[in-house]
Amino acid sequence: MSVATETAARTPASRVIELAGRGHRSIPVLVVLAIIWAVFYSQSSAYLSFRNITNLTLQIATTAILALGVVFVLLVGEIDLSSAVLSGVCAAIAAGLAVNSGLPLPVAIAVAIASGMAITLIEALVITFGVPSLIVTLGGMVILQGLILVVLPPEFTVSVAGTSFAKIASTAVPAGTSYVLAALGTLAFALYKAYQYRERLSTGARTSPVSVVVPAALVAAVLFGGVYILTRQRGLPMPVLIVAVMLLIAWYFTTQTRYGIHLYAVGGDREAAQRAGIPVRRMVVYSFLILGACAAVAGMVDASRQLGVSVTSGAGPLMLNAIAAAVVGGTSLFGGRGSIWSAILGALVIGSISNGVQLLGLTTEVQYFATGSVLIIAVAVDVVLTRGSLWPGRRS
Amino acid sequence: MSLLELTNISKHFGGVRALHDIDMTVDQGEVVALIGDNGAGKSTLVKIVSGVESPDSGEIRVRGESARLVSPRAAAEAGIRTVFQDLSLCDNLDAVQNLFLGQERSGSVLTGRRIRRHVMEEQAQRILESLSVKLRSLHTPVVALSGGQRQGIAICRALISDPAVVILDEPTAALGVSQRGEVLDLIGRLREQGRGVVVISHDMKDVRHIADRVVVLRLGTKVAEFRRGEYTPSDLVSAMTGAHEEGGDL
Repeated sequence: MSVATETAARTPASRVIELAGRGHRSIPVLVVLAIIWAVFYSQSSAYLSFRNITNLTLQIATTAILALGVVFVLLVGEIDLSSAVLSGVCAAIAAGLAVNSGLPLPVAIAVAIASGMAITLIEALVITFGVPSLIVTLGGMVILQGLILVVLPPEFTVSVAGTSFAKIASTAVPAGTSYVLAALGTLAFALYKAYQYRERLSTGARTSPVSVVVPAALVAAVLFGGVYILTRQRGLPMPVLIVAVMLLIAWYFTTQTRYGIHLYAVGGDREAAQRAGIPVRRMVVYSFLILGACAAVAGMVDASRQLGVSVTSGAGPLMLNAIAAAVVGGTSLFGGRGSIWSAILGALVIGSISNGVQLLGLTTEVQYFATGSVLIIAVAVDVVLTRGSLWPGRRS
Repeated sequence: MSLLELTNISKHFGGVRALHDIDMTVDQGEVVALIGDNGAGKSTLVKIVSGVESPDSGEIRVRGESARLVSPRAAAEAGIRTVFQDLSLCDNLDAVQNLFLGQERSGSVLTGRRIRRHVMEEQAQRILESLSVKLRSLHTPVVALSGGQRQGIAICRALISDPAVVILDEPTAALGVSQRGEVLDLIGRLREQGRGVVVISHDMKDVRHIADRVVVLRLGTKVAEFRRGEYTPSDLVSAMTGAHEEGGDL
């Protein structure tokens, strides 16, 4: 074998690239995040105060939820530009039903989610028919901008202040309950890892209890640390809990199930996936359905936080921020590479920049310059990792 | 009894005669090389045997039983597996995921079809070992593996369903010298396992090295068949190009 000689000939730089290209993609993002936090903290110690971190998590919740949906679409090698406006449409539907028509909140939420999925289903069917997703969702975005005018009442705004709808975002889970949830989460994860450990032992595979203890300790640290920081004010904000639950479900299905393998296979090589008997088109449709549900949830959380829906809901930088978050977090635009963690990590990076810029009272230009630069650098890193070499025209 | 027996297989594409009355057998533990110039009909024959195309006429028997290979799935169920030249591997998935792609071992719907990774890993290990395919890790995406290792995984994938006949389309094309040797060893091990192997190749050296029998196609017809040691390289070339028709005909 020539493997040994190949490895020896590699430079340290290319070895780092190779390592980072293999599933350790969260590490560069965490490094970038640490740098951003260090820079802003050196300018203002209020940046890493409990109050500001809690604030930050509320600010990024909408972007993170939408980015999660976008990750599913990027993983199958498609793109979406319409989901931010769709989130506005779904929020308008939910607020209209709950506030103006007086329907129970759960019904309104269910209808909004179903509407979001129905709209992305139509888009997905056109895409699997053969029209590029860029065009379908670009056209879809414009159509949805019209649709939100139809859905909103004549005054083009629904106020949800003082209603049960507003409680979605303003509810805070008491500290005690939050700690119990964190403990339950840790316990469930540890038990699952232990179950996997026993499964592996039963086949005589090489394994050690470290594969249970280390991940469980990591999850415990993140959950309890998060709860400790975020309950300093009033309790754990509901949007944070929503994001956490959605990430948990997405993690299970993308990494532990047959669906997950097929999702990555379709993004990696459609031809090969098709030959292996995977229903490629159906997988694309599933991704868009998930995006539709995420968009609806993101829209409702946002409307609840802004205390209303208007024509500008879902407009502005939300769409680009969600795509940028997914990509900055390490999900490839070319499909098949990335993880659901990129949604939350990328949203944290982008949110941390805008939060810091506002905290320091810097001008909006600075925020745009910084966010744009981080996005381009992140895609450049993705290109290098996908290519496996620092310079163009070489492959490892 | 032959593992695979083709009788009078013909195929037309419109007015073009792609295959005409092809007879061919593959026995247990035998490597049959299929050679011929471009357009000789090798690909069409492979497509018919792997269930991608249906023949216009003729009969296919697998283990003595008549088989209708209407789809790749039907061919696989009949016991014929094909490794195409492009290998059809997903670069971003690891060896285990590629081996079981489309036929994962998973739990019930209640668990959301949870992957039984430990079962898959154990089976993968056994199949990889049976062909002595060595990987540094089962968790590495296959894009990071060598050409020989990738070919090994593609062949092992064909073995997951324990087929009687394995068809390899240009397995050594685009490989370096050491990796080529590795793949030829793999083919030898398939033969030792008692399977029938059909190898499509352009490389005369490989064919002489590995094949127990050589079937030569030219312009859609079988023009010659040689047993190991009963031919010279120039016999093959002249049969392929039709330089002198009677060259080594049986």
